[in-house]
Amino acid sequence: MKKELILSKFNTKVVIISMKKPMKKAMDFFLFRLIAATFSLPAYHVCAAEQDFQFHGFAAQGLIDVNGSNFVNDDGSLSPKLTEFGINGSYQLNDKLRLAGQVVYLNGGNRYAEGVRVDYALLDWSVYDHQNWQANIYLGRFKNNHWLYSSSRDIPFARPSIILPQSVYFDGFRDIAVGGDGVAIKISHNNDTYGDFDFNFSYGTSSISDKQTGIILSELAQGSLKQDKDIQASFYWQPNFSSWRFGVSYLDSEFTYQASDNDGLFFDGQFLTEFYTMNALYEAEYWEFSGEIYQESLAVKGFYQPSFSRRIIGQGAYLQSRYKVSEELTLLARYEHFYINRDDKNGKLLEEETHVSAYFAYHNDTTLGLSYDLLSNLQLRFEYHWFKGAARLTPIMYPDPDPTVNDNKYWQLWAMQLMYWF
Amino acid sequence: MCLIVFLGCFNVSAFAVGVIVHLSVDEVTLTTAQLRRIYTMRQTQWLNGQRITVFILPRQHILHTRFSKENLQMFPYQLDRIWNKLTYSGLGVAPIVINTPKDLIEAVKNTPGAIGYSENIMDDNMDEKGVNFVKIQH
Repeated sequence: MKKELILSKFNTKVVIISMKKPMKKAMDFFLFRLIAATFSLPAYHVCAAEQDFQFHGFAAQGLIDVNGSNFVNDDGSLSPKLTEFGINGSYQLNDKLRLAGQVVYLNGGNRYAEGVRVDYALLDWSVYDHQNWQANIYLGRFKNNHWLYSSSRDIPFARPSIILPQSVYFDGFRDIAVGGDGVAIKISHNNDTYGDFDFNFSYGTSSISDKQTGIILSELAQGSLKQDKDIQASFYWQPNFSSWRFGVSYLDSEFTYQASDNDGLFFDGQFLTEFYTMNALYEAEYWEFSGEIYQESLAVKGFYQPSFSRRIIGQGAYLQSRYKVSEELTLLARYEHFYINRDDKNGKLLEEETHVSAYFAYHNDTTLGLSYDLLSNLQLRFEYHWFKGAARLTPIMYPDPDPTVNDNKYWQLWAMQLMYWF
Repeated sequence: MCLIVFLGCFNVSAFAVGVIVHLSVDEVTLTTAQLRRIYTMRQTQWLNGQRITVFILPRQHILHTRFSKENLQMFPYQLDRIWNKLTYSGLGVAPIVINTPKDLIEAVKNTPGAIGYSENIMDDNMDEKGVNFVKIQH
């Protein structure tokens, strides 16, 4: 009886939030099998003689305190809105096909919409599997696997810090950037001389809720925002037995805004983005270095005015270092530098042309942190961020005109989070 | 005191970590590169097409640490990063964690296509345990 109640609850929530009708039935069936298997075989992943079914999960709760911005809440008080839960399952149908899905609950205050989400729900088709070549096609809702930490951004213990570099892993854009509904392809090649190569391609779109439209554009935007296209590709190379890994990625995405009759401020519009990244990762016994450098092109047509048309190019980079003091303790240091418009790095032009303060044109973040393994699957993290600029405070397309909101060029944040996984 | 430390070191380093497979696996030797591909889940089938089931000990177990460094020439945290990415992003599956070395041998013994590791100390008795020992070529 209890199982039925739980299953019913899961199914209902999942369907309402995520799926359009054509995919709904298939997802219902898939999640039903996944969750049914989860509850009927609770210890299978530990002692099973075969690997057909696995399930894993995580739970994390923390405290976060922001001074000088509305990054998490509007009143600046200490907040417990640092909650992340997830459960996933993988079921091997046969040698070629596998089902996988993950449901997460996130609460990050103003950072993104609070609630349950289907993180991914896909059919993995192993098209070709040889000792030197692998090719997989993923159908359904897949996760963004193109940037250095894009696939682990929601996994508390798998990402490098509680708050990631916002210029790339912008929380306000999380639900769109985290993945998409469509098809993804991964081709891997292993070469005993030159090393390991991975090529990823994805085509799909994400649905955008009204809440998210408000987070990205403005709460004053009454119309609907739709993602028309999202094409991404990436390539990674790790030289043979090397501590280094290198990657590049490309994104091409289009959005349409359809104004409503109640829109007093905005007009129909189109947003075209291109995003290029290069990254490197170095992993030694005690030291780990990683960094990404990127350029984003954003073209806006309409929206502010019917005849408005402008294209700006933003650029940024971050460099991160981690040092393993002991088996349990790891230290973190990172610096991130980003500006929205390379022709207006200090925001002077932005301030002259609009009501917006100059510091909304850039975002710099200096981070120090530590993580401590209490057990092999229980970790405590603490970190402090010093920010300069407000370019990654939502909403970004039309910053809040209230001069008392985000009125600090410099602001800080500290957070601690306890995380468990299995 | 010095003697105790010396004996301790000797005890730990005297026996290398051995790679074991289920009796159904044809391979009798593997290169380090092949072993690394299998444990990073970049090779999921044996040459005869049989699916590989990979077993490991918990991430902080000393035998797992030694296997990672000595046999795979990787640090355990690098493996964690790869396995976490597979497990929590839907891209693939990670190895199955077994709590004790003894249970790991049992799991390999009972799972066609399985691979795992064990202390070399029992080399001569591996047949009795129902698993094959695989030689690693560097």
